[in-house]
Amino acid sequence: MRKFILMLALFAFVGLQGVFAQTSVTGTVTSSDDGGTLPGVSVVVEGTSLGTTTDMDGKFSLSVPADATALVFSFVGMETQTVAFTGQTVVNVVMNASALDLDEFVVTALGISREKKSLGYAVQTLGEEALGEVRASNPVASLSGKASGVKITQPNTMGGSANIVIRGNASITQNNQALFVIDGVPISNVNTSSNKDGWGGYDYGNAASDINPDDIASVSVLKGAAATALYGSRAANGVIEITTKRGTKKDGIGVTINSGVTFNSADHSSMPKWQDKYGEGYGAFYDDPTGYFFYEDMNGDGTPDLVAPTSEDASWGAAFDPNLMVIQWDALDPNKPNYAQATPWVYPENDYHYFFQTGVRYTNNITFEGGDEKGTFRLSYTNNDETGILPNSSIEKHVINFSGSRNLSDKLTVDANITYTNQNATGRYGTGYDGGNVMQSFGQWIGVQVDFQKLEELYLREDGSQLSWNASYVDDLHPIYFDNPYWVRYKNYNDDHRNRIFGYSALNYKLNDWISAKAKVSIDSYTEVQNERIAVGSVDQSKFSSYTRQSQELNYDFMLNFNKNFDNISVTGLVGTNVRRNTVESVYGSTVGGLVVPDLWAISNSVSPVYVSEALRKWGTNSIFANVSFGYNDFVFVDLTDRYDVSSTLPEGDNGFNYYSASTSVLLSELDLFKDMPVLSFLKLRANYAEVGNDAPVYSLYSTYAKGTNWGSNALFSVSSTMLNPNLKPERTKSFEVGLEANFFDNRVRADVAYYNNRSIDQLMPVTVSPLSGYSSIWMNSGEIENKGVELSLTANVMKTDNFNWDINVNWYKNSNEVVRLYQAESGEEVKNIMIMSAWDVSINAVVGEPYGVIRGIDYVYHDNGEPMVNANGYYMMGDDPAANIGSIQPDWNAGLSSRMSYKGFSLNILLDGQKGGDIYSVNTKYGQATGVYEETAGNNVLGNPTRDNIVSLTDGEYSQHFSGGIPLSDAAPNSGGIILPGVKEDGTPNDILVSAGRWGRAFYYRNSPTARYVFDASYIKFRELSFGYTLNKNLVAKTPFNNITFSVIGRNLAILFKNTDHFDPEMSLGSGNAQGIETGAYPTTRSIGFNLKLGI
Amino acid sequence: MKTIKYILMVLVIAITVTSCEKPDNINPKAATSVPVGTLFSNAEVSLVNQINSMSVNYNTTRLLVQYWQETTYFSEARYDFSSRNIPDNYSTALYRNVIMDLKEAKTILNASEFTGGLATQRDNQVAIADILQVYAYQVAVDAFGDMPYTEALQGIADPSPAYDDAASIYTDLLARLTADIATLDASQGSYGSADFIYGGDVAKWKKFAASLKLRAGMRLADVNPTAAQAAVESAYSAGVFANEDESGILYYSGVSPHVNTIYSGFFVDGRKDYIPTNTLIDYMKSLDDPRLPLYFNTVDGDYVGAEAGADAAATYTNYSHFADRFFQPDFEAILIDYVETEFLLAEAAQRGWNVGGAAEDYFNNAVTQSILYWEGTQADADTYLAAHPYDAANWKESLGMQKWLALYNRSVEAWAEWRRLDYPVLNVPTGMVYGDIPSRMPYPFNEVKNNESNYNAASAAIGGDDMRTNLFWDIYDPI
Repeated sequence: MRKFILMLALFAFVGLQGVFAQTSVTGTVTSSDDGGTLPGVSVVVEGTSLGTTTDMDGKFSLSVPADATALVFSFVGMETQTVAFTGQTVVNVVMNASALDLDEFVVTALGISREKKSLGYAVQTLGEEALGEVRASNPVASLSGKASGVKITQPNTMGGSANIVIRGNASITQNNQALFVIDGVPISNVNTSSNKDGWGGYDYGNAASDINPDDIASVSVLKGAAATALYGSRAANGVIEITTKRGTKKDGIGVTINSGVTFNSADHSSMPKWQDKYGEGYGAFYDDPTGYFFYEDMNGDGTPDLVAPTSEDASWGAAFDPNLMVIQWDALDPNKPNYAQATPWVYPENDYHYFFQTGVRYTNNITFEGGDEKGTFRLSYTNNDETGILPNSSIEKHVINFSGSRNLSDKLTVDANITYTNQNATGRYGTGYDGGNVMQSFGQWIGVQVDFQKLEELYLREDGSQLSWNASYVDDLHPIYFDNPYWVRYKNYNDDHRNRIFGYSALNYKLNDWISAKAKVSIDSYTEVQNERIAVGSVDQSKFSSYTRQSQELNYDFMLNFNKNFDNISVTGLVGTNVRRNTVESVYGSTVGGLVVPDLWAISNSVSPVYVSEALRKWGTNSIFANVSFGYNDFVFVDLTDRYDVSSTLPEGDNGFNYYSASTSVLLSELDLFKDMPVLSFLKLRANYAEVGNDAPVYSLYSTYAKGTNWGSNALFSVSSTMLNPNLKPERTKSFEVGLEANFFDNRVRADVAYYNNRSIDQLMPVTVSPLSGYSSIWMNSGEIENKGVELSLTANVMKTDNFNWDINVNWYKNSNEVVRLYQAESGEEVKNIMIMSAWDVSINAVVGEPYGVIRGIDYVYHDNGEPMVNANGYYMMGDDPAANIGSIQPDWNAGLSSRMSYKGFSLNILLDGQKGGDIYSVNTKYGQATGVYEETAGNNVLGNPTRDNIVSLTDGEYSQHFSGGIPLSDAAPNSGGIILPGVKEDGTPNDILVSAGRWGRAFYYRNSPTARYVFDASYIKFRELSFGYTLNKNLVAKTPFNNITFSVIGRNLAILFKNTDHFDPEMSLGSGNAQGIETGAYPTTRSIGFNLKLGI
Repeated sequence: MKTIKYILMVLVIAITVTSCEKPDNINPKAATSVPVGTLFSNAEVSLVNQINSMSVNYNTTRLLVQYWQETTYFSEARYDFSSRNIPDNYSTALYRNVIMDLKEAKTILNASEFTGGLATQRDNQVAIADILQVYAYQVAVDAFGDMPYTEALQGIADPSPAYDDAASIYTDLLARLTADIATLDASQGSYGSADFIYGGDVAKWKKFAASLKLRAGMRLADVNPTAAQAAVESAYSAGVFANEDESGILYYSGVSPHVNTIYSGFFVDGRKDYIPTNTLIDYMKSLDDPRLPLYFNTVDGDYVGAEAGADAAATYTNYSHFADRFFQPDFEAILIDYVETEFLLAEAAQRGWNVGGAAEDYFNNAVTQSILYWEGTQADADTYLAAHPYDAANWKESLGMQKWLALYNRSVEAWAEWRRLDYPVLNVPTGMVYGDIPSRMPYPFNEVKNNESNYNAASAAIGGDDMRTNLFWDIYDPI
């Protein structure tokens, strides 16, 4: 039925062909920069809203009324030109780049270019330079700080996924990531990583990182539901709309070579700080007279020798002393000449910083482009070759992009754009609390005396087994808890491959001068393979697993665009239909019970029958949509959209949902009232309201059984721990936004401020329930979350002379969200909390009445004066509530500050970005302190004595190391060790009780500490980007074979200018997804410094 | 007209595409129906895994009854349940992985419309599933006290179930066993090869049910002697285990992941986290217990145990290790056995209940059977019993101590019987008092977040969600 209505609609428009044509004007618009043609330029008859845009070849044809006086040409990044109209039939225009572009045209949903002033919603546009200049390996990450309302969390792993959330988390448990659209083609940004819960696995990166920065022409950030309504439900989290570069019409073929080398290194300020005074051990628990060492006769001389307690992964051991000779881990291999040789017990020459290397990334791009009267093309090839900061890590990427268009007739144009990417990675970094993540050991569990150069030299024994610092015992060299980190990197490495094609082909047909039809088929198809290894002889049982995943999305679009002006009223719009089909097919296989043949990486090399699991998911939507915009006298614009989706993932009969938006833009500066204000050059008020729906993830309706591993020939099945629900209905988001755009001083200062309020109701999610109900979670329509916020962006042209130009841009935004309600249980009881993620005694939650992402755990007990209290023994008192609110992952605000300066051929661009507030729980700090690895566990106390020394009482004398109580400072002998924890006693006076801090289980022990002790403020300011470029002037270039030469120095993540976390980067993330706010085994921030040379031929 | 031609062409394409078949919405790679035997198998294996597990994440009862001590990370041996959410994992394993799958199997079976022999087989299957559910519920109640029962496992119909009174649950569990014993009909089979314990032998399941009823009944001996006596005597007359071959024992297949927990922990995970305590080793040494070399190896010619609940790390190599048998991948796990029923009958006789024999005879046979089970000899047993005869005057001590020794590697039951019989007298960990040794497990920590009001009501009803709160059947305080 709907199809029929659609057909009627189409014919209705076809039937409306009118005859309004008058003088026909044609022409070509070119750029003064390179002489190339400019597509998408707006051509408007001055004083009317009659107009058109240039086609792919920069050509236009427009019917101009006889009484017209001038034509106005405008284009993003170009100075607007007005050409007097005196009845000529051909108008060719050359446009100059504007120093401060006015973004007059922006790319909106479905790739439609729209006049910015007519838009009733916020769209922030970033030019080519935003991504193309620094050419980060993950272009998603390099959006950070460049647009307000867009919160990016950077991965610190090589090729890892960046989390991108626009205007806050609208979904409590489901996807909150923005949708990526390239030239109108939605592309998958799925993170298929196995690491999202913080318990290990690898971050395989988000799929949008396949976008090549060299191919990007501009980026539009569509933030609100009104801006994205045409994309339907999947765009509920905002859209990053990328427009790629096109060929331009020119004589001959343009060739550009862009070559860069970047050096990546670890930012040491973001790494755990170790103490350098005490070595391995948990305390004086062992066998020699001091209690700090194993005591075995290793060299056969009949007397026992001191041996480092290699089985212990902590640093509460003996104090370093160059005269203390100890047989250490590296002297335990009987096949080595240094077997049983003692070496001094000292902090090593090469500590764990030695492990991090300088990675190098080569990026080479070559682009050919050209065009003639009939069409244009662009072909680009990019090779990206990168090594990481860890040993044995690399990514190699090839990207080929081809775009072309051709006019088959005056009216018919074909257009295609296709990108092929091939990516091969080896040795991605393991993540989370897992032995595959070397940072678990470096940040939490290790003896700090271990020399890393020796680890590198000795990790592989003659027989192929490993030697680790963490040998089980002097005569049992199998590592007990931790593999040698070089073994982890060289033996237990992973590799992965992705082959992808995305793009479209389209047919445009110009029915007449105000209606065009477009048919488009787009595809995004990729196959990825992820192989993971654990070698024979590792701590964990040996294993090989391989995961192959094929993902395919097909979109079929048909649209009619129309554009018509009646006197003072302009009408533009479209009607269209979309059919989307998704298929994901995957197979995971792994060995069981270990590998038979060492280093044979095949699933069939399994001790026990192999494990296999398959998935096949198919889903889709059928949609119709329409959009119409009215403009009155270039003063008021009204925009209406409607879309109806039928989704396969919802119950039959209740699977259709409608969404719509209405927005308006009023150009107040057109009013006489404002026309008299010379300072104000432009003032626009915009407002919109939208309601959008969302469907369920595929297969959320009908329960199936979970398969276990067979017992012999018997299958084992279990009721799935997630209960599905056949009564789900679509979820809804209601969104309201107002904004003001104001330009001052001849548009040299431009401000944009927006306020929004989004309310998402009936959220579809698996609600975590009591497992005593038989299920761990149940799919429900539940919950309501509200996001409201303010976004501000300010651009100022500070200085402009003939040679010098300086722009400053500030983006600031604040999002506050509140979980309004969750769900009502059958009993009528309102559920107040849903756990999003938990790790040990801490959890990240959605709590009614609180912002999304409340950190819960045991709090301190606070005195009325606000200080945490200690008990009579001098340890922290712990709150009774095991789930007290002790922080929130939501920042107070985020901001970015950029400066762009140019002088003649030189340019200098700087970007700082930062976050105020937000909290993060640090697993590293919890364990790194408990194990005595961190700096603060080895200082001096108020008496000037090492805190690790035994407590000495004036009345009772010296206590043993195992004394667990505390003594008041007044009773402490001058030589007493121990530490006074910051806080107050129960009477509110400052704590003055010394407690022991000399071994595992004392002042730095997590069981003696509330969870809140490990929650830190995540504020930061980062020196995010720097680029310094020089473009040779044309006279010099003329003497070379080239027509353009640009050299630049670029840097990313150059410094963390401010942070409140001692041992890690507060921006640390486990990867993209909702599980944010817990740091565990964080990698250092990667600092990049590179050089780039761009040659145009 | 050319224009119309194009339009039509495009429309044809659009319509073709729009009429593409819409994908259906059922996962094609997952089962929507399965044979009941597969659910039963999973429940059986999950139950044994949970009872037998030595993982610090799932089951720390070996530490609670001081069989074992931890080497480097000793907080669980000092009764830290929260760091690893042990109560959550313990209860979820029982409810989700055992009772729920059995419930599903029963639901499928009860929906069948069989007649004759098939109906009898179906009834046997339902009864056996019910017996294992009773077993799992008793383990849950013995760990926590009041637990969800009547409102449990309802899914979306009741995602936050209320807790039932533990004594009432016991009453119902006993009634269910009585009914199951009556239902079981050995003329027909049950689960066949999907039953890894008895291969579907209905007669043996009947004995299992009676033995379980004996255990559950005896648990009430102090708090409700009348009910206890009735249950024990009826269990005895129904026929409990008569020899070790009838015991409820699962022999692991030995193929990963279906392997014995000690093999899994020490070999698969490559860890050395546990050593025996001196509480156990020193006591066995003092008795010259013939099982000592069967349980443990020597270190430098002697048996050495570590201090239970010590506030310090211990080096693995300095202490006795578990005997080789425990490291075999297919080493068995016991749900309930003949040794245990003989101990229970000894106690019943001692209490003057009618179980067809004398306390001392049952006791002697229990100890003898335990020694034989661990591959000691009849002569070992005779010598041992001669040196340490049954002491009727201090029967709780005699039974408590010997049962503790016999239940080694079956710590869930050992922990329950230690609480009930108040023997052995365990060592008090550094810095604690005797009452700090847990009398129950704290409620699952996530219940505070997921099921708050019912959790609060249950905590109040049992006298506080504290590991020192006694269970309803544990009415005497030791020492």
